[in-house]
Amino acid sequence: MTAALRRFFDHDLWWSFTRSPLTVAAALVTLLFLVAALAAPWITPHDPFDPARVDLLDAFTPPVWTERGDPRFLLGTDDQGRDILSTIVWGSRISLLVGFAAVLLSATLGVALGVSAGYVGGVYESVVMRLADVQLTIPGILVALTINGVARTLVPRELQEAAAIWVLVLAIGISDWPKYARLARGTTLVEKNKEYIAAARVMGLHPLRIMVSHLLPNVIGPVLVIGTIGLALAIISEATLSFLGVGVPPTTPSLGTLIRIGNDFLFSGEWWITLFPSLALVLLVLAVNLLGDWLRDAFNPKLR
Amino acid sequence: MTRPLVEVEGLARRFDVSRPWLARLLAREPRRFLHAVAGVDFAIPRGTTMALVGESGCGKSTVARMLVGLLRPSAGRIVFDGTPLDPDAGRKALAPIRRRMQMIFQDPYASLDPRWRVEAIVAEPLDAFGLVRDRAERRERVAELLRAVGLSPADGRKYPHEFSGGQRQRISIARALASRPDFLVCDEPTSALDVSVQAQILNLMKELQEQLGLTYLLISHNLAVVSVMADQVGVMYLGRIVELAPADELFARPRHPYTRLLLDTVPDLEMRRRERAPVAGEVPSPIDPPPGCAFHPRCPFAERRCRAERPALLPAGPARVACHAVEEGRLPA
Amino acid sequence: MALLEVEDLVVEFPTRRGRLVAVDRVSFSIEAGEVLGMVGESGAGKSLTGMAIIGLLEPPGRIAGGAIRFEGRRIDDLPPEAMRRIRGRKIGAIFQDPLTSLNPLYTIGRQLEETIRTHLDLDARAARARAIALLREVGIPAPERRIDAWPHELSGGMRQRVVIALALAAEPALVVADEPTTALDVSIQAQIVQLLKRLCREHGTAVLLVTHDMGVIAETADRVAVMYAGRLVELGPVEAVIRRPRHPYTRGLMGAIPRIGAGKGRLVQIEGAMPRLDAIPPGCAFHPRCPRAVERCRLERPELAPVGPAHAAACWRLEPEPTG
Repeated sequence: MTAALRRFFDHDLWWSFTRSPLTVAAALVTLLFLVAALAAPWITPHDPFDPARVDLLDAFTPPVWTERGDPRFLLGTDDQGRDILSTIVWGSRISLLVGFAAVLLSATLGVALGVSAGYVGGVYESVVMRLADVQLTIPGILVALTINGVARTLVPRELQEAAAIWVLVLAIGISDWPKYARLARGTTLVEKNKEYIAAARVMGLHPLRIMVSHLLPNVIGPVLVIGTIGLALAIISEATLSFLGVGVPPTTPSLGTLIRIGNDFLFSGEWWITLFPSLALVLLVLAVNLLGDWLRDAFNPKLR
Repeated sequence: MTRPLVEVEGLARRFDVSRPWLARLLAREPRRFLHAVAGVDFAIPRGTTMALVGESGCGKSTVARMLVGLLRPSAGRIVFDGTPLDPDAGRKALAPIRRRMQMIFQDPYASLDPRWRVEAIVAEPLDAFGLVRDRAERRERVAELLRAVGLSPADGRKYPHEFSGGQRQRISIARALASRPDFLVCDEPTSALDVSVQAQILNLMKELQEQLGLTYLLISHNLAVVSVMADQVGVMYLGRIVELAPADELFARPRHPYTRLLLDTVPDLEMRRRERAPVAGEVPSPIDPPPGCAFHPRCPFAERRCRAERPALLPAGPARVACHAVEEGRLPA
Repeated sequence: MALLEVEDLVVEFPTRRGRLVAVDRVSFSIEAGEVLGMVGESGAGKSLTGMAIIGLLEPPGRIAGGAIRFEGRRIDDLPPEAMRRIRGRKIGAIFQDPLTSLNPLYTIGRQLEETIRTHLDLDARAARARAIALLREVGIPAPERRIDAWPHELSGGMRQRVVIALALAAEPALVVADEPTTALDVSIQAQIVQLLKRLCREHGTAVLLVTHDMGVIAETADRVAVMYAGRLVELGPVEAVIRRPRHPYTRGLMGAIPRIGAGKGRLVQIEGAMPRLDAIPPGCAFHPRCPRAVERCRLERPELAPVGPAHAAACWRLEPEPTG
């Protein structure tokens, strides 16, 4: 274990990481969001989703540093008297969950299709890659909206609320697979002509085994890079869908839902309801994006 | 007489190099084929080394890849230890034969998966063919293989990038030996290595052949390497064997004009500084090979018959040669 | 005065774990019209030496010591612009891969004419005529037609001929040829070696021929420099070095080369491998692999010292001179 740790800290990746203050900051912010999201039930000052603990009389309390501020609510409350800070933490939890799950889905789908297309070739490859090309010509959010709509009509009404998050994951995940498929196929095409693949074929290994044990590991690195940037995009997609009202229901709000709710009050003077969730979203997406950019550069031998 | 371990009859492989369907249709072009290997026959007796030599594009590597099942022959058959190889047989049915023929590759930097530890690389055939019962036996066998190629069992914990080119080629050999094969196809095994390391690998290959009774097919463009390794040599030109002879005979009395050309190009370390007749021309495209004898445009002895009629591989002393001039006895000895 | 003098050349690569010395105090000279072969295994520093001379070291590699003098003038500290003028006009270059030496976007004629007009005072028609003459000289059939061909339309051997024509276009006094035949087929290799040899003799051009192939050296070079782990270990007339190598490394190298007619016996082999740049042993860099090594070899680095007429080796334990 210590040897593995030593190798990690000795690695060029770690070295280039410590050399970039912006990346370190981005990593810290991302980590902060992750920890906060995971520990939400224990660290939030209020439970914004317990109707018994929310008092409508607290509604529209502005942030604490303003004239009418209430020390109990650091960033103020919304129209139902929920603590904005707490809803942001809980909202990030939902946003990150949807983001991670969607990236996992699209990466799995894309990598499986891309690696197999690259390795098998022929008609199968043409079909898969043309499908990817076609989907790439349609804006991702449109694809997600369509899938979201179809899924909602298929899910029974009484389950819709509970299934909303997973419908969202499905919609965002499927809208994003072509990127991963292209990348995976490209890497596979390079690797499959190398002699270690030929050696595995001479042993008569099953193609699936060659793909999983030899080709897949080559794809993981690059996928991690675009997956990180993809996470930021998925969070935005989720926020967009929720903002449009087809995302997660207001009872379990994500950052997007919070921004939408707050938007209704922006012109009546309660600016804090929408501003703070928006800032949180921008901060999170920016941090994840910076992290992704650094990973991409660190993995790109041409820039090293 | 015992039967040769490997017999190859009329082996051929063509590649479709046509342009895409639509482009072909628009340009009213027929399909185009590259005849990489156009009918090759040879047999390798057990425990001996056969070498195929020739320049790039002559088809020698394609022959190697067909033998180990990386490429499907377009025609012809391969008989291994008396059993004809059926390319349509399933993976499972072929496994017992696959186990007995393995391959060593040219590029020691590409032939080992950089993400695997050496012990996993060497053990891959053991797992693939189900040759070990448990982890202890697997570890024992890997250690034994690493020792056999001159590495230490402790090297198994390392990754390929921690080794030099020569050591990597040793790892590649250890992997090829893991399934206890009888037959090794060696595709330019030393051409990516430095001379001093090449000598180590060639010596190792000889030792292993003696110890294990291995049969080799050596693919090489380097005649000097072939001369220290091979018992039998096939010289290939544009997909065909033009001369097939015992090694001593080939190097002492090369018959085919192309063999002579190749031998003449070997740099002379004895410093005789001969001024050679410059060899004219280059290898033509295998898509559109010259009619008749494919070598005739570069051959100083070509006549009308050579331009029209393809010579067959005919016996000439202990050798077999595909050349009209040799057949007609109009070549200077 | 020699045409090119290299004195105590040091090439190093700064890395985060320290400086890697890839060429370590190498000194040699080339006379006008002479072919000096530089031989060694991959990573011995021979290509870097060539690159340092033509001023094309890839950063972060840099010259960290010593001097390179061409026609009596130092060229290792010239600004890039001045070096560029010398390169091409006075020092030509031929690389291993002819494709990377030719610009795929221009016809070979345009590239030749451009080089000719940059360095020689000729008008367009005269430059074209000279380009055609050069192509004919390097053995390209029908040069009047081929001059308008694109690099990708030529075979590897033909491309290398064009690269040689380019290198010689401005009648340089020195050509640095880095593995000029390695990427080519054997029958083409022989053609290119012959061509290079003939042209340089006819034009009186000196050549630094960098190669791993002792056969090419034997056929072409007047003198040979043997490199090992960044150091020059033996330098002398090609015949003396090949027939009577005095450094144990050169001797091992010569024994390791397979030869036709030598039969199927075991080859002489040098145990082990050349050390990586970050693990060069103290003393003589060859001592861990040397069958003759003694205590002194482990401690003290031997310098190049005369062992015969124009023949020098860096070794405490020279191979005995063969008798008879």
